[in-house]
Amino acid sequence: MASLVIENVKKRYGETEILKGINISIEPGEFLILVGPSGCGKSTLMNSIAGLEDVSEGRILIGDKDVTFSSPKDRDIAMVFQSYALYPNMTVAANISFGLEMRKVPKEEREAEVQRVADMLQIGHLLKRKPAQLSGGQRQRVAMGRALARRPKMYLFDEPLSNLDAKLRVEMRTEIKKLHQKLGTTIVYVTHDQIEAMTLADRIAVMKDGEVQQLGTPQEIYDNPTNLFVAGFMGSPAMNFVPAKVVEQNGAYALELQATKPTVLPFPDQESLKSYLGKEVLLGLRPEMITEPQPHKEGANFVVKADIDVEVTEPMGADTMVLTRISGAEVNCRSNPAYPAKAGETIPMMFDTSKAVAFDPANGQRIDG
Amino acid sequence: MSNVAKRQTSGLDKVLRVALYVCLLGMATVYLAPFIVMLLTSLKDVEEIRSGTLLSLPSSLDFSAWSKAWNGACTGSQCEGMAPYFFNSFKIVIPAVAISTLLGALNGYVISHWKFKGSDLFFAALLVGCFIPFQVILLPMARTLGWLGIANTTTGLVMVHVVYGVAFTTLFFRNFYQSIPVELVKAARLDGAGFFTIFYRIILPVSTPIIVVTVIWQFTQIWNDFLFGVAFSGFDTQPVTVALNNLVNTSFGGKEYNVDMAAAIIAALPTLLVYVLAGKYFVRGLTAGAVKG
Repeated sequence: MASLVIENVKKRYGETEILKGINISIEPGEFLILVGPSGCGKSTLMNSIAGLEDVSEGRILIGDKDVTFSSPKDRDIAMVFQSYALYPNMTVAANISFGLEMRKVPKEEREAEVQRVADMLQIGHLLKRKPAQLSGGQRQRVAMGRALARRPKMYLFDEPLSNLDAKLRVEMRTEIKKLHQKLGTTIVYVTHDQIEAMTLADRIAVMKDGEVQQLGTPQEIYDNPTNLFVAGFMGSPAMNFVPAKVVEQNGAYALELQATKPTVLPFPDQESLKSYLGKEVLLGLRPEMITEPQPHKEGANFVVKADIDVEVTEPMGADTMVLTRISGAEVNCRSNPAYPAKAGETIPMMFDTSKAVAFDPANGQRIDG
Repeated sequence: MSNVAKRQTSGLDKVLRVALYVCLLGMATVYLAPFIVMLLTSLKDVEEIRSGTLLSLPSSLDFSAWSKAWNGACTGSQCEGMAPYFFNSFKIVIPAVAISTLLGALNGYVISHWKFKGSDLFFAALLVGCFIPFQVILLPMARTLGWLGIANTTTGLVMVHVVYGVAFTTLFFRNFYQSIPVELVKAARLDGAGFFTIFYRIILPVSTPIIVVTVIWQFTQIWNDFLFGVAFSGFDTQPVTVALNNLVNTSFGGKEYNVDMAAAIIAALPTLLVYVLAGKYFVRGLTAGAVKG
């Protein structure tokens, strides 16, 4: 277990800057997820932490020890790769014990360690096989076993689940979470899957274009995104962005938008809208905050009923997604499947703006006090 | 209707298939004819060669030409047959193939998995080596061997073949190693393995197909080489190809075609044997990089 501090890390290839000054620091035992679209620099950052790539500027500390210039083997970390990277010529047992062998651990101890890891991951019956004789999920387990065997200070996972089929991915996700809870080790995990990020992380770093857009707990990121990119990236379906005009109503700032009829929605963060009076902002509202009218919420603060024109409905089983157009923007609403929304009809929906956020349309930044 | 059509096409198929086999057989005969003539001629005595045609069968199996070619025929002033030169060739080929293959494997490993600044340029420069004609380097190489004090020695010839072969072997290994995922090397580095440990424990064990290809290629090239052999060998370090040339060109009295032919077959036997034993790996290895493994 070790803490990880990344201080102003920059990485350049010739003229192009891949990492533009990354600052992240996590406590021992934390599960950090680096998430972002491809090309955002998350894998480069991961390789820099591992020591597989040099950084151009900045410092990396693992457990208070400056490892910026240490070689990978001296950093005491283990990594699980997307392609698993199992040694094809070795048996599963040899794969798991290779790292120990390189560190000159005596044979008996190695065998005991292989047994311990195999029991933990339930791969005991596979130990004598070669990687080619394993299924994708089994390879994934062996790759994790190889990382676990060395008991390193920190684990790095580089998109470990993206080569698995959907069902197995969910299973392994749960298993990784269990494993983290059991071992309590520091983990840095790269993914482009925002659901993986939400479910696994203690903290998430959302990256784009070589910069950390936001670092926070999953709930912080979900509820209080700092800009349009983070808001749009996390959550599925994505947050709705609706152009709205800041108006004054009954002595409070509110947002006016065009559903079937012009509608005014109250807004929780009054301070922030002060300087935007009369101007246009982007209202950020999650799909689950626009629902069928729910009697128990009737009359609550920040709840408004308004008619919408249904364009498309997408039943998903647990919910039905209702697509409409508000102020010209496409908007997703999450309704109860029993609610009779039909394409082409106009129906009332309930807007709950208690968790609504607003963005400046000019620079995409969150508007806050 | 459709049944009739099917029967018609299958009839046509049969005809085409027969035509294909006839064609293939014809080509095979054309390619094999010289070898058959050599074999037949080597088994006849001189009198029979003179009286019969090229393709006529020998009246009796007579191996005396073979034994003469092996240890009695004159190659210049020596009359010891091909045997000593045959072994000379092995003394050159075995170390040259081993060293150039090993160097090629190491080079390929570095160029594909330990890229350094300018490694691509280095590889491009090395590739040029594949296109340099033998004749061009004869003089500079002769000077170099002289400076190094290994002119006319087996060591010198081995060195020439290694230097000339490394460009090809590097190319082979580099292309093969390019298909090995970089993560494999990364994982091994994180596991604490160093440059040579990774090479020896992870990379070499999966290299069998390309090692076979390289060994066959280098063996054939070096065994069949005549120019370097004739230019850089000493009197007693001549390879078998040079000896064959001398044997054929040396004649006291009548030309002994049967001995010439037997000697030529002896000189070609090792490469033939290598192909027969490892030929299928050669094709497999050459196409290994083409398909995702």
